Amino acid sequence: MVAAAGRGASNVSTAPVAAVAPIGIGLRQPHYAALLEGAPPLGFVEVHSENFFADGGAALAVLHQARERYPVSLHGVGLALGSAAGLDAWHLDRLARLVERIEPARVSDHACFARAGVAPGAPVLHANDLLPLAFTDESLAIMVRNVTQVQERLGRPLLVENLSSYVSFADDAMSEPAFFVQLCARAGCGMLLDVNNLMVNALNAGVPDPLAACNAFVDALPHGIVGEIHVAGYCETRYETGDGATDTLVIDDHGSRVRPAVWSVCEHALRRFGALPTLVEWDTDLPAFDVLLGEALHAAALATALATALGALTTSRTVR
Amino acid sequence: MNEAQRQQWLFAALTTGAVPAAPVPNAALSEAWLPEAALRETGARAARGLEAYRANAEGIAERALAATFPTVQAMLGVDDFGHLARAFRLAHPPERGDLGEWGDALPAWLEAHAGLAAWPWLGDCARLDFALHRCERAADAVPELESLRHLETDDPSRLRLLLPPGSAVLRSDWPLDAIHHAHRLAGDAAERAFAQVREKVAARHGETVFVVRHGWRAAVHGLDAPTADWLDALLAGADLERALACAGATFDFAAWLGTALRESWVKGVVASND
Repeated sequence: MVAAAGRGASNVSTAPVAAVAPIGIGLRQPHYAALLEGAPPLGFVEVHSENFFADGGAALAVLHQARERYPVSLHGVGLALGSAAGLDAWHLDRLARLVERIEPARVSDHACFARAGVAPGAPVLHANDLLPLAFTDESLAIMVRNVTQVQERLGRPLLVENLSSYVSFADDAMSEPAFFVQLCARAGCGMLLDVNNLMVNALNAGVPDPLAACNAFVDALPHGIVGEIHVAGYCETRYETGDGATDTLVIDDHGSRVRPAVWSVCEHALRRFGALPTLVEWDTDLPAFDVLLGEALHAAALATALATALGALTTSRTVR
Repeated sequence: MNEAQRQQWLFAALTTGAVPAAPVPNAALSEAWLPEAALRETGARAARGLEAYRANAEGIAERALAATFPTVQAMLGVDDFGHLARAFRLAHPPERGDLGEWGDALPAWLEAHAGLAAWPWLGDCARLDFALHRCERAADAVPELESLRHLETDDPSRLRLLLPPGSAVLRSDWPLDAIHHAHRLAGDAAERAFAQVREKVAARHGETVFVVRHGWRAAVHGLDAPTADWLDALLAGADLERALACAGATFDFAAWLGTALRESWVKGVVASND
């Protein structure tokens, strides 16, 4: 059972039981049939909202079937919440329609920009990528304005995810955790904490102890701010530095198993924030469905061990 | 420099192959704000970071267009299609965060591409790919078969036949149906189909097709001229009397309706006073 608590309630006594984090997987098209036919015991599934913006069609039908069996989390990659150019009303309308259709457990997107008008009078373009923000007061104000607009339209709070970014800005006025703390306080949103992104950024920044840096980021966030955790895999790429030497840039490609150090940060976050929904993302070089489920089982084992350590799970459980 | 200016500059730098010298008509921006000064990273590390975004943008564009235009990709090959996808993204960048909406400008862009002049049918093949893509994303038809009773009782000038959402008629000076069909076969069957395509291309044999949903998938059906005129009229919203007039005397409505009902090509009938 990947997500013991929540779905197996009838087998658990009414004595106090430490909660076990619900574990989910990112659902991608090649795994649709395996999920619906196998119906593995997951805590939730998460999809990219934009893949279901169409008026109809097979993908939307699959999502409705998945929704009958699992809570669904809608995770956007295109709202472009940090865009100074503002939000695309069309995009927000489509998201609102999807939220109404699916009644998701959570709705989330990223702290990034993607929309910009690059020429006077020309249409605002969309990069279809998660482009990095400077952590300045002005960026924060833009994020607050746009997140507020989304939440008012959807009538529900949003979770905003931290990015992995490959460039950063010399004029940052605050740390990234401080940026999120202020964003959540002013907009009334929550945070989706991607611990793999923390590790990618720490490695690319060349900090002496990446694991400590990631844990320090987690510790800088107050309780109650985080609503979901993401884990994923990353890859290392080499590049010439120009003097005959090479260096490494870590890319957040979601194309492999979760690294041990990322599991460690995940455990640290779950220990700090409690049994939060935790998602295994795998978007490129998709493996067989069983491999993805194996990663989810790893997360479940971690969550169960934490719950056992933190509470009376084993002593209060009475299997009928 | 404000955040809007920073984002305009970064957008151009990260999503195109070259950093423009003056990304916006703002002298202060171009003189006072250069990437090496604004980014914490410098030199090769900054360049590699920016390149990571560019490569990602190109990969995303290529995969999105390949999913929407599978026949065009098959005709050009993966590598050449990739080059064209990257060039198309620069010429017609997406305006939406849903790449499923992107690509309607590709057919005309392919037709205007000097390097593709030897394949003048490519634009129409792209139009057919896009029509199929749109059809599969269209609203799911809910048949209103009860409404067909109007056909027995009402004046045809008061009736309109509704086709499933996403249905389309495409006319081409090239053997559109044959090309599409050949790219879905393998082995000997494909060889025979491509031989037929070559003969039809040599003869400048034009074809008209009907795109319509069958279940979840969009399908292509070859059309004769009267049926194409009939369907075009229906899609334009013509009443039954006018659509029949467009189709001409040789069009067999009863035979077509039988096929259409069997294949679920008719969503229902609307009477003007309904």
